[in-house]
Amino acid sequence: MIQPQTLLNVADNSGARKLMCIRVIGAAGNQRYARIGDVIVAVIKDAVPQMPLERSEVIRAVIVQFKCEDGIIIRYDDNAAVIIDQKGNPKGTRVFGAIAEELRELNFTKIVSLAPEVL
Amino acid sequence: MGGAAISSHGLACAPPAAVPLNPRARRASAAGHRSSPRLLLRSDLPPPAVLCRARSQSSSSSNVNFGRGDDADKLLEDLLKQHGEVVYSSGASPAAEADDDAECLSFAVSLAKAASEIKAADIRVLCVKRLVYWTRFFIILTAFSNAQIDAISSKMRDIGEKQFSKVASGDTKPNSWTLLDFGDVVVHIFLPQQRAFYNLEEFYGNATPIELPFDTQWQ
Repeated sequence: MIQPQTLLNVADNSGARKLMCIRVIGAAGNQRYARIGDVIVAVIKDAVPQMPLERSEVIRAVIVQFKCEDGIIIRYDDNAAVIIDQKGNPKGTRVFGAIAEELRELNFTKIVSLAPEVL
Repeated sequence: MGGAAISSHGLACAPPAAVPLNPRARRASAAGHRSSPRLLLRSDLPPPAVLCRARSQSSSSSNVNFGRGDDADKLLEDLLKQHGEVVYSSGASPAAEADDDAECLSFAVSLAKAASEIKAADIRVLCVKRLVYWTRFFIILTAFSNAQIDAISSKMRDIGEKQFSKVASGDTKPNSWTLLDFGDVVVHIFLPQQRAFYNLEEFYGNATPIELPFDTQWQ
């Protein structure tokens, strides 16, 4: 269950390390949590030095690994996201860790094709 | 008469069984040293099956006059002793799988051809079936402007819908990395900068490149 103020890891080589969710995109009702395949607006809390992305930058990210067990086949050990731009292209060039195949049905095939392992 | 018919059927059956071996062997030799052991193993698989078929047919044709049950049991036991360790997949038969692959391959090649007609550069068709399970072929190509990307993607969608009845998901608007997902075939259209940035060919370096019947280096 990812909501504003949740801290997430970053599962790509874009240069950010930690994100904090500040908005779930598409949260129309009074309560909606983000899960695998949802896009969030996040702020970079920690970043690798000498990389294009910096701390306190506001970016968009897709959730790819998700701790809770709500109708999804795989439960991961942590919450992680991949940073994308406004058009849906990933900011990094490689994705780390196993990625759920549901992302392909949600039109994130670019992230799936950069992942080393698809479950 | 019956025996003759069966044996002639066996003879007629032999050449098609032998023909699919050749492309596989060629592919194994073309695949390079890294993947050759696995492919060689696979290409080793069919001969026992062919042998089995030939032997069972010949023996059944020769044993038409004898009691069938015992012979069949003995034959099966012999076969089990000889080839018992060979495990075949219980799902689709290899022939059906090869047919599926051939259809996807022809689809991929026709898409690549359409792209080359619109002057896309550096077209690569990769068979990624052994590396990832979620698709079979990647087409990676470079276009030089959004208008060209739009033309290529709309033509590919047309071909997919009209000739192969496959509908693409993925990007609908031209993008710096436009992706068309036809299920078994995934098309990546890059602008030159993005192609160098993401470098998908290096990531899928172990995939088998497929020779295209036309010149892909458009200058």
